[in-house]
Amino acid sequence: MTELNPQPLPPRVRVFLPREAAYDLEKMQKITATVLGKLGCGGCHSGHVFDFLTLEDFVVNPDTFEVQEGFVGQRF
Amino acid sequence: MSASGSEPARGALGVGLVYWSELAPLFAPGSAVVDVLELEPQALWEKGWHDGGWRYRVNEGLLEQVAGLPQAKLVHGVAQPLGGTTPDPVEHVSLLRHAVDLLDPSWISEHLSFNRVERPSGVEEAGFLLPPLQTAAGVRVAADNIEGFRRALGRPVAFETGVSYLRRRDDELDDASYFRAVAETADCGILLDLHNLWCNEVNGRDRVSDVLAGLPLDRVWEMHLAGGMPLSGYWLDAHSGAVPPPVIDLAAELMPRLRGLRALMFEILPEHLPTIGIDGVHRQIEALRALWALKPRETLPPIGASSSTSKRAHGRPEDVDEARAWENALVDLIRGRTTGASPYGDVAADPGIDILRELVGDFRRAGLTRALRYTMTALLAGLGSQQTHALLDAYIAQEDADPYPAVESDRFARFLRERPGILDRVQYLRETLDFEHGLLRATLFGATTEIEWSADPTAIFDALDSGHLPTALPPMHSTMRIG
Repeated sequence: MTELNPQPLPPRVRVFLPREAAYDLEKMQKITATVLGKLGCGGCHSGHVFDFLTLEDFVVNPDTFEVQEGFVGQRF
Repeated sequence: MSASGSEPARGALGVGLVYWSELAPLFAPGSAVVDVLELEPQALWEKGWHDGGWRYRVNEGLLEQVAGLPQAKLVHGVAQPLGGTTPDPVEHVSLLRHAVDLLDPSWISEHLSFNRVERPSGVEEAGFLLPPLQTAAGVRVAADNIEGFRRALGRPVAFETGVSYLRRRDDELDDASYFRAVAETADCGILLDLHNLWCNEVNGRDRVSDVLAGLPLDRVWEMHLAGGMPLSGYWLDAHSGAVPPPVIDLAAELMPRLRGLRALMFEILPEHLPTIGIDGVHRQIEALRALWALKPRETLPPIGASSSTSKRAHGRPEDVDEARAWENALVDLIRGRTTGASPYGDVAADPGIDILRELVGDFRRAGLTRALRYTMTALLAGLGSQQTHALLDAYIAQEDADPYPAVESDRFARFLRERPGILDRVQYLRETLDFEHGLLRATLFGATTEIEWSADPTAIFDALDSGHLPTALPPMHSTMRIG
């Protein structure tokens, strides 16, 4: 197996891919590092924290894509 | 450094910024933009389950990088605030002490707020820094916390004057009297957040001029300036851009009166940096330098507690009970739970409760977006905004908050797995969740996960990065192991 090294930090997460994986390992490493880089405490905010709002606006209102709304009223 | 946390006065530190890696160019050696770097140490911590309990772990590499930067350092806590009755049940003093030893701050600051409550079932995180009880009992509780903080960390302590989106109550001290009483009872410093005070005035609480008239201004060691934004008729302390001109004007009037001021800091959150850009931050720093020039030039009074703090009135069990009743009631109201026979049932009618509820929700959803970004994107793209909001609302109502995105997201991932109908409705959602949750479980618990991909994962993520679900990907089966 090929091992990614997704963090410039003391390694604590190891990601193994099959040797024959035909996809972009560097991209996979970057994606993994992005997830692992955002886990610190987000404690000091007395206002809006926009991460979800920004993502929602991007996904629901992307310039070129339509979004299909799910079934209205479904309980979760 | 004496056991009481006193020290001979150091000189004034100057103008600075709260540190985020996105602002790194402004702290780089040779940049000479700012004199002071203020670190929120908990931003470099992660939470994990080790040896049968929760533990914090610091990112040593990043902490040492920050310690190596040329500016004078300050430490500004954001997760163990000083105004409440419930301490953080996870051991944190050693990590704070480590940050203090490495960064050598002249003082440490924390918020005069609370962010967790004690329940019969254990500690419940509030998910936000909330306004503490502003009574004589609340003063004694806060003063005890400050003294404990000072002894544990061996440095002078300053509390930050907080924002409150609630109306002032008749049964509580006004803001100036409360801040003054805490500062004098604890014999500590004040981190004057002038934007917080302005928010409070704009939102219907005490006027800034009245608060400043009642504060012991010689105890102001540090001032924070920030920008904000409107929400539902309120002005939020959102650290979202330039300092509003009225706040700059207030600061200009105030600066000549701050004999003990040692640092003037601008705060902006990295997610709002695009609003003004690095050049805009430069301009804010220039504005703060102009304010700094108004500071009195006389010798700074010493900082630190005198030995007389041991003679002050300490909190009694009934003080803790009184403060705890407020804290539990406020968290219950925010979470939409009935408060029973609480004396604070009338707070339910305060429109600030709705604001706090929304802000707590924002904060929790943001944690999920940080640690489960692709899962959240797939949900929004696959279910739509309305259904995703309903799902998240159901989750928030059912599960307690955690300020660490990995812990919050682990809970949401397990909540989502209990709803296989949703996982089956959105193509590639299950394997996307498996991947992100696998990374989280590895960091939290050291757990190993195998993920079965049905297509090229980078193609799945490329589509999600563009804001839409992948469609018609060629099948490509592979197994990935995370651990």
